[in-house]
Amino acid sequence: MSKELIRLRDLCMAYDDELVLDHLNLYINDKEFLTLLGPSGCGKTTTLRIIGGFTTPASGDVLFGGVRINDVPPHKRQINTVFQKYALFPHLNVFENIAFGLRMQRLPDASGKRRNRLPEEEIRSRVMEMLEAVSLKGFENRRIDALSGGQQQRVAIARALVNRPKVLLLDEPLGALDLKLRKDMQIELKRIQQQVGITFIYVTHDQEEALTMSDTIVVMDKGSIQQIGTPEDIYNEPKNAFVADFIGESNIIDGLMVRDHLVQMYGRQFPCLDGGFAENEPVDVVIRPEDIDIVPVEQGQLTGTVTNVTFKGMQYDIIVDFRGFKWLIQTTDHSPVGARIGIKIDPDGIHVMKKSPYSGMFGDYSSFSDEYDELDVVEPEEGSGDES
Amino acid sequence: MKRRNSIVSRVFTALVFLFLYAPIFLLIVFSFNSGNSNVVWSGFSLDWYRELFHNRLIMRSVYTTLLVSLLATAIATVAGTFAAIGFYSLRRRSRNLLNTVNNIPMMNADIVTGVAMCLFFVAFFTFWSDFAVWFNGIQHLLVLPERLTLGFGTLLIAHVTFNIPYVILSVGPKLRQMDKNLVDAAMDLGCTWMQAFWKVILPEIKPGITSGALTAFTMSVDDFIISYFTAGSSSSTLAMTIYGMTKKRVTPEINAISTLLFITVLALLVVVNLREARAERRGEEHRPVSSRFSQFFDTPRGRRLRRGAAGALAACFLAAVVLLTGATNAQPVVNVCSWGEYIDEDLITQFEEETGIIVNYQTAESNETLYSLLKSGAGDYDVIVPSDYMISQLIEEDMLSELDFSQIPNYALISDRFKGLTYDPEERYSVPYAWGTVGIIYNETMVNEPVTSWSVLFDDQYAGNVLMFRNSRDAMATALSYLGYSLNTTDETELREAFQLLKDAKNRGVYQSFVMDEIFQKLEGGNAAIGVYYAGDYLTMRENNEDLCFAVPEEGSNWFMDAMCVLKDAPHYDEAMAWINFIASTEANLANMDYLWYGSPNQEALEQYPAYYQELYDEELDPADYDIIAAPPEVLERCEAYLVLPFETRQLYNELWTELGI
Repeated sequence: MSKELIRLRDLCMAYDDELVLDHLNLYINDKEFLTLLGPSGCGKTTTLRIIGGFTTPASGDVLFGGVRINDVPPHKRQINTVFQKYALFPHLNVFENIAFGLRMQRLPDASGKRRNRLPEEEIRSRVMEMLEAVSLKGFENRRIDALSGGQQQRVAIARALVNRPKVLLLDEPLGALDLKLRKDMQIELKRIQQQVGITFIYVTHDQEEALTMSDTIVVMDKGSIQQIGTPEDIYNEPKNAFVADFIGESNIIDGLMVRDHLVQMYGRQFPCLDGGFAENEPVDVVIRPEDIDIVPVEQGQLTGTVTNVTFKGMQYDIIVDFRGFKWLIQTTDHSPVGARIGIKIDPDGIHVMKKSPYSGMFGDYSSFSDEYDELDVVEPEEGSGDES
Repeated sequence: MKRRNSIVSRVFTALVFLFLYAPIFLLIVFSFNSGNSNVVWSGFSLDWYRELFHNRLIMRSVYTTLLVSLLATAIATVAGTFAAIGFYSLRRRSRNLLNTVNNIPMMNADIVTGVAMCLFFVAFFTFWSDFAVWFNGIQHLLVLPERLTLGFGTLLIAHVTFNIPYVILSVGPKLRQMDKNLVDAAMDLGCTWMQAFWKVILPEIKPGITSGALTAFTMSVDDFIISYFTAGSSSSTLAMTIYGMTKKRVTPEINAISTLLFITVLALLVVVNLREARAERRGEEHRPVSSRFSQFFDTPRGRRLRRGAAGALAACFLAAVVLLTGATNAQPVVNVCSWGEYIDEDLITQFEEETGIIVNYQTAESNETLYSLLKSGAGDYDVIVPSDYMISQLIEEDMLSELDFSQIPNYALISDRFKGLTYDPEERYSVPYAWGTVGIIYNETMVNEPVTSWSVLFDDQYAGNVLMFRNSRDAMATALSYLGYSLNTTDETELREAFQLLKDAKNRGVYQSFVMDEIFQKLEGGNAAIGVYYAGDYLTMRENNEDLCFAVPEEGSNWFMDAMCVLKDAPHYDEAMAWINFIASTEANLANMDYLWYGSPNQEALEQYPAYYQELYDEELDPADYDIIAAPPEVLERCEAYLVLPFETRQLYNELWTELGI
């Protein structure tokens, strides 16, 4: 499983003097489902296009199986891509779209001189096999514009996979689908990846998608990698305020590491599980909303006032004011607006991070309600830089 | 209220369409007229169409037009498509800039484009000839032509140039509509860029390319002005030929060719619009009707067939072009510039058959146009047929070449009366072509007594029914000769006196209008009683209106002589001599005299014409008509030919003419 397939070394890229990739280093293992996750403009699509060969990096190397492929054109790479909005060929039907790559293939014959087309029967059987794999049997003579979004999506995947690539690149492939279809396709994609057993490199800005499907998540911002890890690592042990805020909901509080396993916030000391900091080092403390227990005021480690309550079905999202800093707490118990409550946090609910340039930028819910719903809004297309 | 509005708007719409289409409708109707008038309907016939297809000049220019349009369309479509793709892949700001630059030539006045190109080509040719002389001087392996001229090549370059923007304009939007990732997707699936272009981009932008090509073709067929300035002397497009033919009058033959041109362009437009409408419907419907056909072409066999067919077509096309250019280059040619409808065109065919020399026959509008063409370097002719006063000016400016009279034995046939005239006293530069007089044409049913004097043009007797020349020299000449002054006077008082006469008459409303070739319609249709024009043209008018009469006023008038000259450094000097000798022959003069109804300078022709006429039409020529065609010496004696006026006098003419305010 952990054989290295692709390595990106020191990639730099700029459009119009704006740094899009800043000394990016990354390796990708064979048969891995790796997700590049980040907000619009973080460089994830550029990274994908560099791997696909559509964009040449300003500096740095792309290695494939240990060989430098910077100058190999896209059609000679063992990599295929599922594009944003699919980029299916409108003038060809479903069958011909999927067969396109196979028709382009040339095989050397026995003497190694002439290069032959694939036989028509082979093309036919491979396309049919692929149609079956993406559950589109019987659609081969349909026109592309007579398909639904989900069906077009599947044709795009089939068109890429029929070439049996070593790596499949997916550029926000689910962006254009509605929520229900998106959830189904997430599972479908993961199933297909496991079935064909190749590397998937997936680009998205949707943290939930990333958590659901990935073996490895690479969180990016401003052209740099913020954190690489399994979904669990990323969620439970974010490296900095940016990651903590981008993945899930987080209250991020200024703190002081008194010593190992003891962190101070609001002048109070809380036991925790983290260590390895200097004594009295200033830190960022992450507390997930679901890790906070509401207790009577007198039992609370901290006390605050409820300023907002939203019913979310499974739980209430309540905003609590602790000396001017607003926290988000998810709880099954209802507390009315204006109530004073106490809270208690278990040591494993506290995650301590080193200070970073992102400190103080995230984790306050003062401007609640708008802010944290926004993250689910589909962001505009992240193009190659010039088109809006 | 609402109802009334709708009636008003309907009437308004009807009027708009009436004004738009009535002229074209009229033109089409009169193309089927059996007579040669555009006013009097004399019955249905297809004669003019038949004549059209026998008209060598027209058929050759149709051929030139089609060839240049097709070639220019093909080249511009390829170049424009790739240019559009280049634009498309640029950053937005540079793309917008380039699109604007691309749009300017389309909005630019054709005349500016035409003149600019003409100047550019001429400048380039000058540079080239210096270069070629130097290059041929230092080595002998490769001999470069030292003299380049305007011709089919420059015409083609000009057409390609003005067509490209239209192609870019119609391909651009199709590219922008295309999914940006399609090319990436094709390359991802194993295509090189070129393969991606053929397999993905091309099918996507094909509708844009087709409509761009159709627009370009229509523009090419349509173009007159740019062609006029860049075609040089050896090629002539249909529009140019038609324009040349309208010099004298709009004959039904022109109606016929215009009808065909109108229908061609209409058909092209219908095709373009139908295609667009179908493309819009495509979204709703499934495959178009041709589905099985196009599916066949997607099979390997179909593809091979398609490729074969495309290759064969391209090869044919290339072969045609090569043969054509080869054919025209191999044969000797002579470039002639004359006036519209100023030759019996059978003579051209006859000359080509006899000598094997191809005649490129073009026409200019007036002596002044011809002069400016020659001066700009665009008129690269061998033989020209200017009028007397222009000949002396050209001699003065050393623009003519002396003729080799040993190659023109027929010069001996020219009547001595017409030799050694003031414009070429030493008989070195010119051979007379045709001559005529200016006189008064009047409708006998509309005047009280036969007209014999210029006075009818200046007194109030026929006020509101008189047509005057719309050019200063001819108009002033009528007044000068009425007053008994020389037509070539440079005396300012005399000129001012003549002018005052004209101006007073104009202010008193004597003149219905100032006209040139419109006089045909007005007099034939009986819309005016009196006009001044050329004797030969009077006879043409009389065919359509028996009531018209002609008189050379007793005070005298203008007579003119047009003569053939050869330009200095003419590239086809010997061919030019052959042409002049041929035209000077008695047979050619007879044919021309009969066609033009202008006097021939050939003594034998003058004598034989009545017999020739009788044999041809089986009726006797009215001696009075003969005297109109070829004025007898006593009439000619009281007439005067124009001479070149000195610069100050020309300026005075311009000033006075402006003051008249027409």
